[in-house]
Amino acid sequence: MRAPLWLVRVGLVGLPSLVPLLTRSPQAQGVPADHGTIVIAVGTLATLPVPTVITGRWNQDVSDLLFLKLARLGPELATGGDKRFIPQLAKSWTRRDSLTLVFDLDPRARWHDGTPVTSRDVVFTFRRTLEPGVDPQRALLLRYLASVTEEGPQRVVFRFSRAYSEQLYDAVYHVQPLPAHLVDSIPYSRFATSSFAQHPIGNGPYRWVALVPGQRLEFTANPDFFLGAPKLDRVVFIEARDPEAQLNLVLSGTADALENVVPVTNIPRVADNPSLRMLQVPSFTVSYLLFNQRSRSDRSVPHPILADSVVRLAIALALDRATLVKNVFGVYGAVPYGPVPILSWIRDPKVNPLAQDTARARALLRSRGWVDANSDGILVRNGVPLSLDLNYPVTSAPRKQMALGIQEQLRQIGVKVELVGMEGAAWNEARNRHDFDIDFSSVGLDPSPAGLIQSWSCEGLSGTNVGGYCDPKVDSLLIQGIFARKDALPTWRRAVQQLEQDVPAVFIYAPIYAFAVHRRYANVNIRPEGWWAALGEWSVTPGQQLERDRTPP
Amino acid sequence: MPGWLFSRLLQAAATLAAAIVVLFFLMRLAPGDPLAQLAGERQMSLQEVEVLRARYGLDQPLTSQFSAFVRGVLRGDLGTSISQRRPVTNILAERLPATLLLGGTVLVLNFTIGIWLGVLQARRKGSRADRWLSTLSLAGYATPSFWLGLILVWLAAVRWHWFPAGGMVDPLRSGESGLSRILDVARHLFLPVLTLSIVSMAVTMRHQRTAMLEVLGADFVRTARAKGLDEGPVIWHHAWRNALFPIITLFGLWLPVLVTGSVFVEGVFAWPGLGSLSQEAISGRDYPLLMGTALLVSLTVVLGNVIADLAYFYLDPRVRR
Repeated sequence: MRAPLWLVRVGLVGLPSLVPLLTRSPQAQGVPADHGTIVIAVGTLATLPVPTVITGRWNQDVSDLLFLKLARLGPELATGGDKRFIPQLAKSWTRRDSLTLVFDLDPRARWHDGTPVTSRDVVFTFRRTLEPGVDPQRALLLRYLASVTEEGPQRVVFRFSRAYSEQLYDAVYHVQPLPAHLVDSIPYSRFATSSFAQHPIGNGPYRWVALVPGQRLEFTANPDFFLGAPKLDRVVFIEARDPEAQLNLVLSGTADALENVVPVTNIPRVADNPSLRMLQVPSFTVSYLLFNQRSRSDRSVPHPILADSVVRLAIALALDRATLVKNVFGVYGAVPYGPVPILSWIRDPKVNPLAQDTARARALLRSRGWVDANSDGILVRNGVPLSLDLNYPVTSAPRKQMALGIQEQLRQIGVKVELVGMEGAAWNEARNRHDFDIDFSSVGLDPSPAGLIQSWSCEGLSGTNVGGYCDPKVDSLLIQGIFARKDALPTWRRAVQQLEQDVPAVFIYAPIYAFAVHRRYANVNIRPEGWWAALGEWSVTPGQQLERDRTPP
Repeated sequence: MPGWLFSRLLQAAATLAAAIVVLFFLMRLAPGDPLAQLAGERQMSLQEVEVLRARYGLDQPLTSQFSAFVRGVLRGDLGTSISQRRPVTNILAERLPATLLLGGTVLVLNFTIGIWLGVLQARRKGSRADRWLSTLSLAGYATPSFWLGLILVWLAAVRWHWFPAGGMVDPLRSGESGLSRILDVARHLFLPVLTLSIVSMAVTMRHQRTAMLEVLGADFVRTARAKGLDEGPVIWHHAWRNALFPIITLFGLWLPVLVTGSVFVEGVFAWPGLGSLSQEAISGRDYPLLMGTALLVSLTVVLGNVIADLAYFYLDPRVRR
């Protein structure tokens, strides 16, 4: 069974000659010392990062590299007023009156084909976004925008139907202008499959190079970028759907960065790697136990148990949320106060969520007639046991893990919780059908608190307010918050306080994402509202370039 | 032969048609729909969901949706993916080569080396080599492929840097072609192929060994040897041909499994094949994409069976009669 002699000879002679091919090392060709390349491992590769057809965060994050907004949020992420924004396509803006904003575009701004960015591009994109059926979500967010018009090639005028403090935010944040000269002849129905969408031409710091679906998406630096050419000359996103595979890619050096290391038990593996550093990126996500306040079988009837706010409060008091969060997330999570993300400008850091108080929880339930009649540990009232289903998606490891802790903590006060783990799509459908007692929900919010109205107002009952919560006092405060032209903060905080008092949900955790990034990068900035939007500002610490950094794209 | 072949192909077409019908309606019966998923992601109102439902034809009765799907299939149009908003045929065409490369390589290795080792074991029954190979094949048989993959990638990629940890090509050497491209793909292919081959080869070896042992004791083999034939022709021309039937059945079963069954291995090695695509389609309830992948898998199952039947027909005179 020995290998033939000729094979041994070929191996001895041939293999060394293959080595250079396998480990080819291109020579540096005048790449500046702080320039480089980055390979980012992601769970889902963007396939359509083009404004007006974007779905999913993965597309939105990447579109920030290609398409600028008129202005972006400042570091404090405030969404009210006209001042705390950083110019991008718009050089400046002025207010004509309480309903009119005027933007002057930066004359240096160019599309990647060299054509100047003009007011026509802005007007075209807003009109298209607001066309029926194009993007109902954004159209809803822009419902107070009455018109967008051109005043010459560099000036755009926004008129609103109502005066409110987030007019500028609405004008700049939700829409990224498209090049009208390239896309206005493409009907929207064919836009997603058009050659433009497959090879978009933007105006941002990076230009599109190639997409190989399921494998990689490549960008190259735009050397003519009017706000300063990026120093990372080449950006490549690679797809690995499995979190373990993503981690292996970064640990083995194939990838230089990894977004959101999950589960958190993997974080020590990254921390132990001397070439990587961990970055904490707070999120706009809030996860909560949503109570269904209407009967599951008949929405016109209140829920037999959870319509009672005292029972809901008892459940909130029974939970030791800080321990639940610490056990699952370590330092990568916090307990929110109300449906307010860690980063929201309306968050009040001085107010703490309810602490666990099981004695009070038991007393509250007793006061409503819930007693342990047969000493089996489960409370009963009029023969009905205090038993509730808790729906959660099995695809979410943190929620799955926490659900067990919640079940145990509620058992301590006599509440029986049946855990109903469901596959993601089935869980979503059950939630939208209101088929749950308690739903372990999670939502990624906008930087603006105005979005709270969708899930926590009577107006939202026909939409995403699936728990059936309705308090006119909260509605009134939310509306006041939206339309306050000055000092909106106290109003927003009162609304959140009222929400906490009504206990439509128990707000369990707000995750902090853990990013792994190679240590050679400098000026590393991951923006919570757009993870890779600041990639154009990153550079490589001189003297720490790797071979891949010295290879021209 | 033509009559038999025609009836076999007809049977295959009927099986495929039945599979399509069952798959289509089963998927619609499963809880969850793509728009519920989208609504969850994007906080859409019910009215907005209805607009999208109409856009994708999901507001139509199931029978109309089915007939539209069948008409599309007959035209070679599998519809547009809801999550990716691109034609399903394009998406499948992008992913199929990676799957065929991985599955095909494993299939070839499995049915060459696996068979050869099985025959070797049978020839040397009870020897030290046989005992070692039996132990190894038992271990391979009992090893979950995803676990083996994780161990291999941790050792060979993360710790020793011998092979890439994932993907099909080096993301920074995408523009290359020719030999260096082939070598790059080969380096990326090595670990996933090794993972899948160890497991699948173990099965083939065990089946082949058992089948050969039965045949080697048969009278016609003794007769061949008594006639003074060399051991090589006795083994490969007389014995092996008769010990091939269980392997043909195994081949028919492995063919579809290598398209579908590598979901976990594709996940561990970030291999851009159909396995990860079907996973994506299932979790997002992307009906057109799901039907496209399901159709492809059904086609492979039917094809596997047809190939196995043809091989039986060719090798076994009793079938021809």
